[in-house]
Amino acid sequence: MFCASLVRARQCSEKLQISPGRWLLAPSGRALSGTWPCPRWGHQPPRREPTSRPAVLLQGAKQSLWTQAGGLRAGKSGDSSKHVSVPRDQKEETLLSAAQKVKEAGRDFTYFIVVLVGISVTGGLFYVIFKELFSSSSPSKIYGDALEKCRSHPEVIAVFGEPIKGYGEATRRGRRQLVSHIEYIKDGLKHMRLKFYIEGSEPGKRGTVHVEVKENPDRGRFEVRYIFVDVDTFPRRTIIIEDNR
Amino acid sequence: MEEYAREPCPWRIVDDCGGAFTMGAIGGGIFQAIKGFRNSPVGVNHRLRGSLTAVKTRAPQLGGSFAVWGGLFSMIDCSMVRMRGKEDPWNSITSGALTGAILAARNGPVAMVGSAAMGGILLALIEGAGILLTRFASTQFPNGPQFSDDPSQLQPSPFGDYRQYQ
Repeated sequence: MFCASLVRARQCSEKLQISPGRWLLAPSGRALSGTWPCPRWGHQPPRREPTSRPAVLLQGAKQSLWTQAGGLRAGKSGDSSKHVSVPRDQKEETLLSAAQKVKEAGRDFTYFIVVLVGISVTGGLFYVIFKELFSSSSPSKIYGDALEKCRSHPEVIAVFGEPIKGYGEATRRGRRQLVSHIEYIKDGLKHMRLKFYIEGSEPGKRGTVHVEVKENPDRGRFEVRYIFVDVDTFPRRTIIIEDNR
Repeated sequence: MEEYAREPCPWRIVDDCGGAFTMGAIGGGIFQAIKGFRNSPVGVNHRLRGSLTAVKTRAPQLGGSFAVWGGLFSMIDCSMVRMRGKEDPWNSITSGALTGAILAARNGPVAMVGSAAMGGILLALIEGAGILLTRFASTQFPNGPQFSDDPSQLQPSPFGDYRQYQ
């Protein structure tokens, strides 16, 4: 049993040196492998050498599954096995041929690229969402401000009824969070037009709110050019909420 | 997009629940099939049988937990839409965080906070992807349907306050 735990610890330390990319596989493996994958593993001869098998990628995944368990085992069985494993591992490293080294480096580099791409994609998504939520010139912020103005306008309340709710374009999945907007530049100033919908407690009444904002050259912020509401149902009319042209 | 005559909200809960179950069952089925195949004793017969067993035991489980997540998320989302009277990305981020917190409630407050953070971050990422997708889709058609440079004709004249009936 000691031998088995030693072998496991060795594989674990190999694993630690390889790359961070494989660790992506490790948590799911641990989470979904309810049973210990290798209780009878100690009886097998330690025949596995990492580079001697053809299916390198599959083996990597398998190894991560096993070494996760092995790592836990080794942690339980004490530090002595770890101490034994380290020098042997270093000796093996020096025995690697040049081709193997190149192979290792290539694999490391690939994983590094994968990790880098993942991090940059995540960062990009975070940037987009933070800009959307917190920047004062984002469509959703302008939409929120315009909706507040609509809610406090007496004529809108009279037509639509008191609790007024607003929403954007409906997607196929029933989400209506994103308002449709269009940005353009006129006279060197940024303009943005938005369109969203409001509904009140009056049944069947629906209105479309059109907003246009213009960049203020002094302060660099958007200022409202106009807000008006089109009532979409039968007594059609237009309610002007703000007109600063 | 087509216009819906009815509110999406209460029905969306069922929608999301089922969609999440399907997603979890299919994804879990594929994953467990591969994992069971690999974890079985040698021999194609054994491996296939092991893969089938793993799929049968684990995939519905995963689908169920996905469904719980999706359903609870959608319920909280709809309640927030109702309460705030507004639909924006904050709703889904908050409800993702709340869902994470509620589902981890039995593990203590620390786990709740961690799970809430995970849920919020996940939903923020999804929202970000949605925003990017819409932006990308709108750049496919650079100037949309008859975009006119002057304010639309429904606009009142700048002077005077004549109400226009159509």
